[in-house]
Amino acid sequence: MTESTLFTTAFALYAGALVGYSASLFARRERWAGGGLVLAVIGFCSHTAALILRTAASGHAPFTNMYESLSFLSWAIVLALIIFGRKPLGPRLGPYLMLIVVALVALASSPLMPKGAVPLVPALQSYWLWLHVSVTLLGEAFFAVAFVASFLFLAAASEEKKERLDALAYRAVAVGFPLFTLGGLIFGMVWAYRAWGRYWAWDPKEVWSLVTWLVFALYLHTRVVLGWKGKRSAIIAIVGFLAALFTYFGVNYLLAGLHSYA
Amino acid sequence: MRSFWRFFSSVKLAIVLFVLITLASILGTLIPQGQSAAEYAVRYGGLAGPLASLQMTRLYQSGWYLALLLLFALNTIICTLSRFGPKWRKAFGPVTGTDAQGLPAITVKSRFRLPLPLAAAKERIAGLLRSRRYRLTESPAAGGIVLLARKQRLGRFGSDVVHLGLIVILCGGLTSGIGGRRSDLALLEGQTAEVPRAAFSLRLDKFETEHYPQGGVKDWKSTITVIENGAPVASRVVEVNHPLTYRGFSFYQTSYGWDWATPRLGLEIRKRADASFSKAVSLKVGERVPVDDADVSHVSVREFVPDFVIGEGNKVRSRSQEPRNPAALVEAWKGEERVFAAWIFAKYPDFGQGHERGRSALSFILKSYEADQFSVLEAARDPGAEFIWLGCLLVIAGSFLAFYWPAREIQVVLEEAQGQVEVTAGGQAAKGREAFQAEFDRLFEKARRPS
Repeated sequence: MTESTLFTTAFALYAGALVGYSASLFARRERWAGGGLVLAVIGFCSHTAALILRTAASGHAPFTNMYESLSFLSWAIVLALIIFGRKPLGPRLGPYLMLIVVALVALASSPLMPKGAVPLVPALQSYWLWLHVSVTLLGEAFFAVAFVASFLFLAAASEEKKERLDALAYRAVAVGFPLFTLGGLIFGMVWAYRAWGRYWAWDPKEVWSLVTWLVFALYLHTRVVLGWKGKRSAIIAIVGFLAALFTYFGVNYLLAGLHSYA
Repeated sequence: MRSFWRFFSSVKLAIVLFVLITLASILGTLIPQGQSAAEYAVRYGGLAGPLASLQMTRLYQSGWYLALLLLFALNTIICTLSRFGPKWRKAFGPVTGTDAQGLPAITVKSRFRLPLPLAAAKERIAGLLRSRRYRLTESPAAGGIVLLARKQRLGRFGSDVVHLGLIVILCGGLTSGIGGRRSDLALLEGQTAEVPRAAFSLRLDKFETEHYPQGGVKDWKSTITVIENGAPVASRVVEVNHPLTYRGFSFYQTSYGWDWATPRLGLEIRKRADASFSKAVSLKVGERVPVDDADVSHVSVREFVPDFVIGEGNKVRSRSQEPRNPAALVEAWKGEERVFAAWIFAKYPDFGQGHERGRSALSFILKSYEADQFSVLEAARDPGAEFIWLGCLLVIAGSFLAFYWPAREIQVVLEEAQGQVEVTAGGQAAKGREAFQAEFDRLFEKARRPS
């Protein structure tokens, strides 16, 4: 099987998972959510094989352009869903996370995204490409989980549900924050120092990842020290995810800078 | 002094600073940084002056942004210090104020009776706790014993380690800002240049650009020799992502270019009347080369540009330093009289002849253009970098301690009652409550089972 067949298969399975999860949401059948998870896991395997094949064929890490990084980000979000899907109320995140995944995969598959594996420009030829991008996107996937849980928190009616969703969002931030700190900021600094001779250049992408980091740091401090919970925490987590999203997409298209390749 | 301390130990101040630094940083991405006054005037008109005087155009280096960071640093230090003592006592100090009545307030708890003497009951529970790697502190209480069991105590200090790391990073940034030096060295092959503020020089032995088979640059490589006291001491290839570090300096492959001021040009001269006539000449800009012809005695090139474009005021200039559209202004002479002048283009050999300013029986083709290539290396000395890496290590170690090594604490009160021992246990975990609950339940399930 070729990489694009596997990727399309994953796309179809994710869409199936979305249907299963949505059906369980609207028809209130828990078993359909289980079916959604199974489809997501099979899709995840197919997607993993696609990423491996692409890496083998191109000889470099599969996140050097928008198509590749979208593909990897959606893979990471499915991974986060699989990890969080078994926690209390985890299946509730399914329909929304799969909606995000399907949207990202659809965007990656759109004709707007050049899919060819292009040879790497000199600045990207480094093992830090692996470390920096993969760990950052993994961290952002957990921020997506926190975002969905926080959103559901704001919409939820029952106190018990609210408490569980709040705890779920916090757990996702607790996993995502160290990963984002390590991958996005620290590995980014180390690589920038090797490639450009400066660890920090106040490039818009750097500044926006700092902004994302500050928002989640605010989330943790208000929560752990001031004891904020619930609505206020949920709003900060949502703002944090939007900042991460802007760092990922917006900076490339709206602001010019050193990170023009991805 | 006290009010200073109280002001800076407030977490509310930290929240305000988080928000202010975030907003200021965003502002700096919306206003382009470090451009010329003219560019700001075009972009912002009358607002350009006020923006510059508020240092919005060099925001991240501005006094007020640095002041925010300084306040943030002070706040972090004082917050961390003021909470450190109580935390230390909680992690390592003796048992304080515990009784069996207070424990039920804790969510994770257990209460049962053991038909054993006090000492045996204590040994049994202490042994179980030790087998789960808990460290025990024992103290007497009214009618019994209190056991305080703690593990993963360093987890409590994760946030302190992160804060220390952040302070080290800010110090590193300050050191880089004050003591950092960088300069560009442009070197032609074979050329030697002194490194500013250093006691050695660099010689470029070779510069290569590697291409992929399908086009596109694969790598730029400069072979560099370090020369100290007139003698070569080290030789290495510097590539993008592979800098050379020597005596506190790092050298990065940052750019390259061609010395287009003195190109070696090759022209082919043809006669319009005689298709079989062809003559190749090579010359430099400004050089006059004799041509054996009735109408033209000499030919010369007045100007050369690598990337021809007509700019403002109909002036010819080069759009870039890349040879994308090489063009030469050719002149033909008869004695001291210029009979012909035209721009000719290497990539469009038929085009230039239409622009001729005089008639000539000859036509000219720009066949070759060569210039020495130079490599640009950035010489950087960054005394703050080591602080940054140390700070990063602390931040990561601290984050992982805080999030993945959560402190756990179990208090057990043992009281003698009617020949049995009443055991009351309560526990707390900084994070990972479910896992802790499971461990706690297993422990006390074992403890109450008759052996």
